[in-house]
Amino acid sequence: MYQLTGVTKLYHKDRQTIPAVQDLNLTIEDGEWLAIQGRTGSGKTTLLNLLGGLDQPTQGSIELDGTSLGTLPETRLTRLRAQSIGFIFQTFNLIPTLTAAENVEAALIPLGTGQPGRRARVTAALESVGLADRANHLPAELSGGQQQRVAIARALVKDPTVVLADEPTGNLDEDTRDDIIGLLERLWRDRSLTLILVSHDSAIARLAQAVAVMTDGHVTTRQDSPNP
Amino acid sequence: MFFLTYLRRELRRRLHQAIVVALGLALGVGLVVTVGAAAAGVNKAQADVLGVLYGVGTDVTVTGPAAPAAGSATAGNGTSIQADYSPVSSAEVAAVAGLHGVAAAAGGLLLTDTTDTFPRGSGHPGSGPPATGSASVNGVDTGQLALGPLSAATITSGHSLTTADAAADVAVVDSGYAASHSLTAGSDITIGTVRFTIIGIAAQPQAGNPPDFYVPLAAAQALQLAGGSAGTGDVNMIYVTAASAAGIPAVQHEITRLLPHATVTTAASLASQVTTSLASAAKLASDLGRWLAVLVLIAAFAVASLLTMAAVARRAAEFGTLKGLGWRTRRITAQVLGESAVIGAAGAALGVGLGFAGVTIIATLAPKLSVTVPPPSAAFAQAAGQVLPPAPGAAAPHAVAVPLHPAITVGVVVLAAILAMAGGLLAGAAGSWRIARLRPAAALARVP
Repeated sequence: MYQLTGVTKLYHKDRQTIPAVQDLNLTIEDGEWLAIQGRTGSGKTTLLNLLGGLDQPTQGSIELDGTSLGTLPETRLTRLRAQSIGFIFQTFNLIPTLTAAENVEAALIPLGTGQPGRRARVTAALESVGLADRANHLPAELSGGQQQRVAIARALVKDPTVVLADEPTGNLDEDTRDDIIGLLERLWRDRSLTLILVSHDSAIARLAQAVAVMTDGHVTTRQDSPNP
Repeated sequence: MFFLTYLRRELRRRLHQAIVVALGLALGVGLVVTVGAAAAGVNKAQADVLGVLYGVGTDVTVTGPAAPAAGSATAGNGTSIQADYSPVSSAEVAAVAGLHGVAAAAGGLLLTDTTDTFPRGSGHPGSGPPATGSASVNGVDTGQLALGPLSAATITSGHSLTTADAAADVAVVDSGYAASHSLTAGSDITIGTVRFTIIGIAAQPQAGNPPDFYVPLAAAQALQLAGGSAGTGDVNMIYVTAASAAGIPAVQHEITRLLPHATVTTAASLASQVTTSLASAAKLASDLGRWLAVLVLIAAFAVASLLTMAAVARRAAEFGTLKGLGWRTRRITAQVLGESAVIGAAGAALGVGLGFAGVTIIATLAPKLSVTVPPPSAAFAQAAGQVLPPAPGAAAPHAVAVPLHPAITVGVVVLAAILAMAGGLLAGAAGSWRIARLRPAAALARVP
């Protein structure tokens, strides 16, 4: 469970101070699918980075299962990301020189899993996203939708408890978008993940269990959706 | 395995940049190898020249003052034997050998055998003047064969002097003299008024101006007395080996205190007088060449570091993603260092190859160095600041072309390889520093 209390994140540029997130309070239950909506610049991506430990709040606390992310040393934070948190980015962020299988395998390297074990888990992860036959293809040889599927496989191969997705369909066409969202929904249900998905697309947000709307760094509304 | 796969793929992706960096390192390394080899070659050439005068293993020579001008009585048949230096007694040789810091000392006797050949009808009106020839004779202490000019020679026929020859009238003849006088091992030669059996032919390095004959010291002393010279049967040179290279100046100082009338020279002072052009070449290779190599290496290191840092900056989003996946900074750093190490190794290999090529070019195209080599006796006098009156018909100083044979040593190759690897790793360290400062969120915000 995530517990955010009075979280503020300020950026400083030249002599200006830019509040990306301001005095934010939020609770996210285990296994919940929360969609975060808002206009560009409302602080959605910053919030996601804070939840994933990729950035530190200027003020306030962020607790994940009772552990304050702000007080963890960098090594433990890195370990937490390696074991428990999966990321899916809008631009896929695949390593261009590695094949699909190797990109997925990259997520297992920090865990110290032996090569045979890694290979088996990578195969299973690619099968779960329907790309087992594309394992040896480089990202440049895959379509946008296929690349995002690889990214999803990479996020899930380590059996995380939390998946953070930042505009996962932002670079995809409509049909592919529906496929990806459908895949995410299926995996969320099958694995009882805590899925936090940022999207400016209302149609996607409505599929989630709850929707939080951000405006100027604040969560202005949070409402449950009819999605069981 | 993943590490190597990632490394290999990444180097292939930026192959051009990797080649540029490797070539830059190779250029610096190649220069280091070439300069090192050239310097080694010049030093060897210098040592070869000095070896003829000094012999291998001789650090200090002691000579008496220059002998008085020729005026010794001829011994008959138009020959005269003249000592090139005033005598040094056996006791003085022993005293030098007993000094602290002296590993060994041996006496030598430098003589010049001058022969006047009178033409047919000499003494009658219209007859020509006598032709004067001379030969240099080096009396060798057969109990200390490791000292003196004979120690630098290579026996090409017969054998060299041994301790058993101490009292014999035998001679080793210089190969140049033997060739010009059609002498071979086993034939006889008259030096002064004494008949010697030639037991061997000795070749000195090309640049030398070696003695024509090497005879046992006792035989040389007898020649001196029989030739009408006013010698005492002692020696006129002492060859000294110091216990250590660092102790040479102290040994020189001690001998000067012991024998204030003598001239004490070291290889360094002789080198500056005799092998001036070689010394200049050595200084050029050593000073200018070394600085040039250092500057090129610094430039190569700087370029490698800048290119690596630029590559890290371009891969910021990639490294941010890896941090997001839970990769620790040091693992990412190891990846970058691995790539840099491979480039450094490639630079080292290329550089050694370039070095060999440079050495080949120098050996093939470089002009021969010229050395003016006086006769041995004049060389020591020159080094001591003396002017030795030339014996009539004595060999004049002559310019000798010294071929430059650059020598690549294992040490230089290893040093060059280490420098290239260091350059590669330095570049990797620069990139790693940048990675360590990378905040994942900021890195991910950069569009690849």
